Amino acid sequence: MASGVAATAQSEAQSQTTQNGEHKDDGGFKLKFCTVCASNQNRSMEAHLRLSQANYPVISFGTGSLVRLPGPTITQPNVYQFNKTSYDSMYKELEAKDPRLYRANGLLNMLGRNRNVKWGPERWQDWQVGMPRVSHATDKGSEGTEGGLVDVVITCEERCWDAVIDDLLNRGSPLNRPVHVINVDIRDNHEEASIGGSGILDLANSLNAAAREEREKVGAAAWDAGGAASRSSFDERVPEIIGEWQERWPHLPATWTLAWF
Amino acid sequence: MSTPVKLSTAEQLKQLQQARAVVLKDPNYWSSVVAGILPIVGPNNDVELRRWGADFIAEAVATPAVPVKIKEDVCMKTLGTLRMLVEEQGLDAVVLKSAILAAASVYPFVIRWIAGNAHDRDSWESIQAIKSQILRIWEGAPPPVRICCIKFAQRVVLAQTASNGMDSKQAGLDVSLSIIPPNHPLLDPRQLEAEATGLLDRMLGILQDNSSEALLVDATLNTLSVLVRTRPSTSARILNTILNFNPLKLANSPMTPKTKVLVRSMEKTTRMLLIHLSKRDPNNPMTPRIQQYIERLTRSRSEIFDGANKKRAMAGPPDGAQDAAKRQRMGDFQVVARIIVPPLGPGTHSLGALFTLTDNVALQGFDATTVPAALAARICVTALATVPPELLGQAVAGIRNRMVELTAAPPVQPPPLTAETSPLDVEDDDDEYEPDFYAAEDTEQILNKLDNAPAEVPQAQAPETVDALATLGTFRLPPPPVLDPGLASRVSQVAVTRVFAPLPTLEDSSRKHKSGINRLAASSFDRDSWLTVIIRIATRGTAGLEDDNATLKEEDASSLTHKSSLSLSNAIRESLFRYVMEDFRRRIDVAVAWLCEEWYVDQLARRTMSESNRSLHYERWAVKLLDGFLPYLTPQDKVLTRFLAEIPELSRELLGKVKDLCRDPATVPLAVTSLLYLVMMRPPARELALDTVGEIWVEYEDARPIAGKYLAKWRPGFMESHGSGPGGGAAAPAQGSAQPIAAS
Repeated sequence: MASGVAATAQSEAQSQTTQNGEHKDDGGFKLKFCTVCASNQNRSMEAHLRLSQANYPVISFGTGSLVRLPGPTITQPNVYQFNKTSYDSMYKELEAKDPRLYRANGLLNMLGRNRNVKWGPERWQDWQVGMPRVSHATDKGSEGTEGGLVDVVITCEERCWDAVIDDLLNRGSPLNRPVHVINVDIRDNHEEASIGGSGILDLANSLNAAAREEREKVGAAAWDAGGAASRSSFDERVPEIIGEWQERWPHLPATWTLAWF
Repeated sequence: MSTPVKLSTAEQLKQLQQARAVVLKDPNYWSSVVAGILPIVGPNNDVELRRWGADFIAEAVATPAVPVKIKEDVCMKTLGTLRMLVEEQGLDAVVLKSAILAAASVYPFVIRWIAGNAHDRDSWESIQAIKSQILRIWEGAPPPVRICCIKFAQRVVLAQTASNGMDSKQAGLDVSLSIIPPNHPLLDPRQLEAEATGLLDRMLGILQDNSSEALLVDATLNTLSVLVRTRPSTSARILNTILNFNPLKLANSPMTPKTKVLVRSMEKTTRMLLIHLSKRDPNNPMTPRIQQYIERLTRSRSEIFDGANKKRAMAGPPDGAQDAAKRQRMGDFQVVARIIVPPLGPGTHSLGALFTLTDNVALQGFDATTVPAALAARICVTALATVPPELLGQAVAGIRNRMVELTAAPPVQPPPLTAETSPLDVEDDDDEYEPDFYAAEDTEQILNKLDNAPAEVPQAQAPETVDALATLGTFRLPPPPVLDPGLASRVSQVAVTRVFAPLPTLEDSSRKHKSGINRLAASSFDRDSWLTVIIRIATRGTAGLEDDNATLKEEDASSLTHKSSLSLSNAIRESLFRYVMEDFRRRIDVAVAWLCEEWYVDQLARRTMSESNRSLHYERWAVKLLDGFLPYLTPQDKVLTRFLAEIPELSRELLGKVKDLCRDPATVPLAVTSLLYLVMMRPPARELALDTVGEIWVEYEDARPIAGKYLAKWRPGFMESHGSGPGGGAAAPAQGSAQPIAAS
């Protein structure tokens, strides 16, 4: 509850700053993000929500084979298919099964949040990168991701990062588009997901600030005049930004690479 | 002036966005919209517009939404514009990046077009010009532009080498030398392949130089997979280069947060690529070397990152600096491999065959079940005792490989898609994603145990060979003999002895740990850590579990030895006591640490347990320790002062022991100065200490001068009130608080 209130308060604060501070919100350059966890339920969705509240274009995926949610015992998980079951129908199903249990373990709260963000969990490996996502117009953070491409992928677990990289290698980089893939290790529970969401938003802000700086340097002067070494470009600054971010968030170990779509 | 221009730029961008929205909805418009956008990137336009336009072109020539026929049309239309862009002097870096990446997407389509339309000399010239210009830019450009050039070169290499036919059909990845018809007037396969080889060398140069520019290294590594997998002529070269690359080289320099990110990034990217490649093609002759490399890399990585700031540099490049050295090692490996486990062929095999190592047919036919079990056991023991460990290791590894092969091997005929026949190798299931096998996917997915919970499907049966394992039945260990308290206590004694065994061999803690509230006890494997562990086991291991003996012990406080046989904790305490006493001057801090723990646990017990069933240890062991070393003290020993100053709680009984030191005139100053130290430095214990000094003054004639000196200062009037007679003050001091006084 408390985190929900906080999130609402924050979103209000965000929209206020947008109204007051950044009038050129649609003009300012924004990096496009993609968040990834195992089931596209907890960590990636928390981060998805937080980034969309900050007006970033964002989409999210899961790398698991199926969407697995805790059930009454450890051997009876609730299993759903990616791309086929909506958060809303999961919510209704679990609510009908055992409202007390699923309220107590936070699942209903989580699904309730998720169904206000987008339709349902999507699987990373089934994502056709570069296919227009015009049918996702109602998703939070959809503005700017219509082209189905992102600049930065943030995974929430080493295993997911590995799956993303392996998948990208497998695809053979047909689109010739660079993408920074960053892992931010977050444990899979509601509390850590919330902390991780803040960490990811901080990272996104730092990256975006650097990207904007680069875009403000118009023309070739930025590198032709030999100034390249002193104020290097966004792509080069990414590891440095992550390093500084890591100092601020020592409990969210990070890994980075530059991969290709 | 600038405001209206800006406004119109913003307006134009808005219109362009709308045009883009149209093509995103209906891909049929791409061709016409791109034609309309091309003028936007002209040199006279606002840089924001040019950036948008260049990005749009890059998107248009890459998007998978456009059918191949339209895509070809789009690509050919952009050629002139791309040429203009890459040839423009001083072009904005963002525009240039988009233009190079667009050229990378366009390149294979143009090659395919030219292959089928030999007359189109103009397009061929354009793409040649674009290529040579990009390759020229490559050298001096800043890294973000260079990675785009690397990507462009990758697509050129892909298009100009022979394919092994395993290409994906997407986005021109299937364009290769094989699509060029013989005797083409413009495309000469040999020339193109030579160019590709040169470009590949140039790409790999960054790895050969063992560059530390992670951006370039990662960007290069992440383009190589498709080349290795689908262009056989490149794969050996690429793999050799990677195996000679040391991604951890940078770890030798000081580890700033940024270098940490860089090192980790290059290491992980290299490892991911190699794992990916060896998984896709497990039969590649290079796979064993790749495995070795990955193992060494993993080891070095954990030394660098997990070795708690030890920052040990990697011994050398992961796979030797020189090719010759490497071959040598491969040779060695084969010499050591005195046993060769032939892989099982396809088909079904018995369980026996799976474990059979010999080629001798007669031996293979031998039925080992005819040997009596006892004899077989003796033979096994003797054989295991004499076989060289590396030989055994190889045999085990060989059998393991066979089992892996068997489980990984495709079934002879396609079995029905049931849980029974799906691979059990669930660990890799997630990664083994094959987009083409949609039908099989669900079954595999359900079997996937990688995620948090076991699958709902009952545990699947293994393929045929392993079936036999099921017939072996379940083996249960016989239940252990019943443990009686006497035996348990004897075994405990042995266990305690063994717990103390490593102490003499452990290193002294070499560096000072940072102290403070955040310090972790026992976090380094030195003697201090081990002692902390021992102390904690003694004080907390069974705290609160000391059953009914506890009360009994309390009553019978004098016979510690009797109790120690009853309680494991007390046995450890006894051993700790002996350990401290062996060299009490050097081990006094162990005693202090121990007593602190005892005191803490006692406090907890006071708070949480009723008086009847808690057992307190602090006081008893503090007295025992003091009793232990008091007789050996010399007048110069500082140990007593330190001990009294540092233990967490003092009591009348403890100080009474100190008082007894004054029986020997030589140790009077020691006793009194130790007490004086308490008076000065431990205010909560001041009264108690002064009382003791007073008692000394009263009881020991010899100690009067020195005790009197301090009493005069700290308790004026005391001597006068007791001065009437030496025996007069023998009564207990007035305060007489029996309660021990805790130090702050």
